[in-house]
Amino acid sequence: MTSSPELAGRLGRPTPTPFGPLSRPPELASTIDTSGLVDADGGLVDRAIFTDHQIYQQELRRVFAPSWLFLAHTDQFRRPGDFFGTYMGEDPVIVTMDRNRKIRAYLNSCRHRGARVCRADAGTTRNFTCTYHGWSYGLDGGLVSVPNKAGYPDGFDTADWGLVEVPLIDSHRGLIFGTWNPQAPSLSEALGTMAWYMDAMLDHDGSGTEVVGGVHKWVLDGNWKLAAEQFATDWYHVNMSHASALMLLSPEGKGPRDEIVHRSGRQYADPNGHGAGFPVHPRNRFDAQPVHQWFDYDAARARLGDARVEGPLTNGHATVFPNFSYLPVNGSVRVWHPKGPDRMEVWAWTLVDRSMPDDVKEAQRLYNLRTFGPSGVFEQDDGENWSEVQAISRGFVTNSVPLNYQMGLGSEREDGRYPGLTSELYSDSAGRAFYRRWQRLMNTPAWYEGDV
Amino acid sequence: MSTTGIRVAALDDIPEGEGIAIDRAVTGTDDDIALLRDDDGTVWALNDTCTHETASLAEGWVEKGYVECPLHASRFCLRDGKVEGLPATRDAVAHRTEVRGGEVYLFPNEPPDAPPNGAAAS
Repeated sequence: MTSSPELAGRLGRPTPTPFGPLSRPPELASTIDTSGLVDADGGLVDRAIFTDHQIYQQELRRVFAPSWLFLAHTDQFRRPGDFFGTYMGEDPVIVTMDRNRKIRAYLNSCRHRGARVCRADAGTTRNFTCTYHGWSYGLDGGLVSVPNKAGYPDGFDTADWGLVEVPLIDSHRGLIFGTWNPQAPSLSEALGTMAWYMDAMLDHDGSGTEVVGGVHKWVLDGNWKLAAEQFATDWYHVNMSHASALMLLSPEGKGPRDEIVHRSGRQYADPNGHGAGFPVHPRNRFDAQPVHQWFDYDAARARLGDARVEGPLTNGHATVFPNFSYLPVNGSVRVWHPKGPDRMEVWAWTLVDRSMPDDVKEAQRLYNLRTFGPSGVFEQDDGENWSEVQAISRGFVTNSVPLNYQMGLGSEREDGRYPGLTSELYSDSAGRAFYRRWQRLMNTPAWYEGDV
Repeated sequence: MSTTGIRVAALDDIPEGEGIAIDRAVTGTDDDIALLRDDDGTVWALNDTCTHETASLAEGWVEKGYVECPLHASRFCLRDGKVEGLPATRDAVAHRTEVRGGEVYLFPNEPPDAPPNGAAAS
């Protein structure tokens, strides 16, 4: 029996697959009203959103499933059959280039008994074959081989049992995103004004970016939102949390100059929950000396404009809602994969400009490794904070005390230089926008829920 | 039997570690023939269809004297077609090839004159 997408939607299933008389009882996906857990206007957040399992399940259904999620960089796919395995929320997906050189993504789960059909992190293949019973799928997702197929009834049609495909895939300047939501707004609409800020990192000179080596992956105790919100909104922690790292990197260990410590800048708060913050200064520069010496700031001013070169081109932080973040200064881009309410996996790529000479690329790679690699002097500070926050948050009394996101309350404005609503560098503005968006999605039935 | 063989491809048509399928209309055989080029550059020929399920061995992975089926990873010896592991249980049919002046010649249904894997080393 084959179902239509509409029928699948009514029955609460996010993808159109045959399900015969199966129907899910609504109790399996009971919904919590989260409107009392986030006060975006007043800057208060209830800690239950970082610890509760039911809220976490609802996040997977209503925040991750409907949103555009970062999958990979186009540089990872050079010929048909190249593949990369990642996650969308907790759903494993294979991203691959098909025989027509189109980037596609599939749920990495066999339609027979559900094992993964690709067990490698990345590589090149002709087919995705389940190692359990041998069902095999082509690069177009179609089921191409079923051992002992004669044992199935006449009505068994391999066309009904291909890999479940991610319906929408699109890319922005080399960054590939996908969403399970067939009715999602376009990627460019979802990114909106945020793309202007992203391009300060991705479009230095028109040559584009490429990936250095593989993907660093590490596990942290901590809810994924702790990392995502920090990258959206938080320059405030820098001088305190990263004091030792800043001392280490300063000339002769005397500590950074006053103008480095007391920086001013802007923070962008996007209506779709994205955020970016950056110091603003006419002489902002890349930290790695060979990158700084090679980079043509004048050409970048002509291409990107003064506001971007003096702001989000170099130092700063950003999150594309919900869980993709990046650092322009070292080309680090990362996904905060949720692994239950208490744990995340960080998957981090290093991007460099294609136009960089090899020695400059190598300098940027080393600088990123030293600062924001898995054992980087800054990354270690951040991971410690998130795990510290998470470790105590299950205490009953601890969990019941709300958190403060009030810095810069009411300061958002159009400043005439940076597009959209911006606040000060030190502000919780983008954090409030992040949780406002989160809260709205959590209380909005997703496309497959119909009229719930 | 042909004494000079059938010219079926230029050597450069077959990347090392990969294969191409030659249509049975050209070879006059029951099955298409997979021309498989080992990672040492040598060219071998087997019936193209895996003996387990319907899959093209020319699409498989060629390495160190063997071809691995792209669907279920059965391995066949390039030199004599012997199957090296499940899920396939029946040997593939091997055919003799010759490379002359950068051209690959196929001798359908003639056994290859090379010793099988393992025997070559002794």
